[in-house]
Amino acid sequence: MTTTDNSGDVRLSGISKTYDNGFTAVQPLDLTVPQGSFFALLGASGCGKTTTLRMIAGLEEPTTGTVHLGDQEVTRLPPYKRPVNTVFQSYALFPHLDIFENVAFGLRRRGIKSVKKQVEEMLELVQLGEQARKKPHQLSGGQQQRVAVARALINHPKVLLLDEPLGALDLKLRRQMQLELKRIQTEVGITFIHVTHDQEEAMTMADTVAVMNAGRVEQLGSPADLYENPNTTFVANFLGTSNLIEAEVDTKNGDDIVLKAGGGKLVLPEARCSAPTTTGGKVLVGVRPEKISLTHADDAGEIAEGRNRITGKIADSSFIGVSTQYVIDSPVCPEFEVYAQNIDRDARLVPGAEVVLHWNPAHTFGLDAAQAIDAGVAEAEEDAA
Amino acid sequence: MAAVTEAPPLAPAPEKKPPRKRGRLVPYWLLLPGILWLIVFFALPMIYQASTSVQTGSLEEGYKVTWHFATYWDALSQYWPQFLRSVSYAAAATVLCLLLGYPLAYLIAFRAGRWRNLIMVLVIAPFFTSFLIRTLAWKTILADNGPVVHTLNNLHILELTNWLGWTAGDRVLATPLAVVCGLTYNFLPFMILPLYTSLERIDGRLHEAAGDLYAKPFTTFRKVTFPLSMPGVVSGTLLTFIPAAGDYVNADLLGSTDTRMVGNVIQTQFLRILDYPTAAALSFILMAAILVMVTFYIRKSGTEDLV
Repeated sequence: MTTTDNSGDVRLSGISKTYDNGFTAVQPLDLTVPQGSFFALLGASGCGKTTTLRMIAGLEEPTTGTVHLGDQEVTRLPPYKRPVNTVFQSYALFPHLDIFENVAFGLRRRGIKSVKKQVEEMLELVQLGEQARKKPHQLSGGQQQRVAVARALINHPKVLLLDEPLGALDLKLRRQMQLELKRIQTEVGITFIHVTHDQEEAMTMADTVAVMNAGRVEQLGSPADLYENPNTTFVANFLGTSNLIEAEVDTKNGDDIVLKAGGGKLVLPEARCSAPTTTGGKVLVGVRPEKISLTHADDAGEIAEGRNRITGKIADSSFIGVSTQYVIDSPVCPEFEVYAQNIDRDARLVPGAEVVLHWNPAHTFGLDAAQAIDAGVAEAEEDAA
Repeated sequence: MAAVTEAPPLAPAPEKKPPRKRGRLVPYWLLLPGILWLIVFFALPMIYQASTSVQTGSLEEGYKVTWHFATYWDALSQYWPQFLRSVSYAAAATVLCLLLGYPLAYLIAFRAGRWRNLIMVLVIAPFFTSFLIRTLAWKTILADNGPVVHTLNNLHILELTNWLGWTAGDRVLATPLAVVCGLTYNFLPFMILPLYTSLERIDGRLHEAAGDLYAKPFTTFRKVTFPLSMPGVVSGTLLTFIPAAGDYVNADLLGSTDTRMVGNVIQTQFLRILDYPTAAALSFILMAAILVMVTFYIRKSGTEDLV
């Protein structure tokens, strides 16, 4: 609709939240969400993402800082005065009202008399025209979720806030609703801020993702950028899987850094290293499992020159259709993960086999070795469970 | 699993009985005490009273069932003012209970925090004393020279209530106001408890959702909280109105001959005048009247539609 104005910008400046019991849910935070974008706040439970969302909605008062919507400061405005609507985690549909009245609720409160046409159009948009006179408890989870979206969207908010809206749905329905929400967002052009703990959900839906951890934004960027260039071990481990190797800076070779890891050498483009690289300093070298090729040790001579290589032994392999996932026991990293596409399968690659792992140095990233190597692993596992 | 396999094999049953038959009877066995209770203490007395209400005769000659339904008509035409008074006093007490009880129940359910249990105990605490003693205490509270009457007098409130016909002269005792106060006080917990239960069940996020959808706090109450608390309002008003309409203790202790309710009439007929047929007929009329009113009320409030 209107992409030129900035009335749908959300600007958080130095916003923080400390509860009465002394727990700080959100550390001072600056964040700007541009008009019309699909923005995701991603993090494990308790990372402060929902509190941030509730401060934008006005359901929680920030301890410090300000909230701006466009040019208007709304920090102290009660929720009913903010041009913002929320899709709640468990939908919070009014059980005593039918679907029509649930959707019409916001319009009626603003004194709009003839709501019939608008409500019917909105119910068509979310494909619930037939259900208008049913009560919420007569609908399935997916339908209730769509009512919650319709009830918020009908008010044409400047910003739509979604608090884990798909959390209660089963996997298949969740995938379907992700696409549905993305379609609706493109159609109406409203700023969406989506809170989720599901990294796949955040990556499929959002233009920009902010990864939150312990009340702070760890990193902010497009899904591809976050995945390819994580700045911290938390992001590297929470978003997908990363193999991290402790290495020591050896020499610099043009734009590349040469590192020593175990007995071998690894090459890392300097541009992809977020850590200081003084000679002799420690760096964590990372590579994603799908970037790695696996060659049997007998064929090691056939590997092209200039690739990073590591030797190891297959500890475990599991066939999952499109790919095979290997766990490699290597001197530099005890559980090295490799995802190999099932194109030409080498029958010798079974547990116990000696192998060489190799990859294009351009796919290597470097992280500061001062942080915990396994940050974010537990959180990612908890969410997968 | 291990525990199951290690368990010794069950001894083979000596005779093969269909195991279900006994299981099917269990619910009835469980119902038995309740049913017996109802038969002995409800059904039989009801039948006995019903037969009493159509008897004629006198104490000396004994009463006989003569199907004398005219007793009903006579009772009604003679005591309709007391019926009317019962209904209006009970209605006034119910409305007062609702007005006093709703804010308190709301406070306990949403705002009391860690004081919640303490306030609940305070609500129930009066039950530790007998109904009679609590009502007698109101005699002291509303005593002619007591502080309450003085204050009401000084604030000229008694002039207003006199004008409304609720009080007479400088007194509160022995007036309709005293009886309604007593009824309100005695039945208030029966209003608060169901209200609290239904308010407490309301999901707090619904309030947030209403606020998010532009409802001001009072609109949220009107459109979300109150409709959702209707089951509590209905059961609370019934639990107050029904016993209040049949009550005679409050009218007896706090009222005068001008505030006699139908309960007082029934009591007098049964225990002093010993006119059993009239007393029984009055009881049945009261029961029927309450049944009709309650049915109408439940239909009207349409709570069967609520979750």
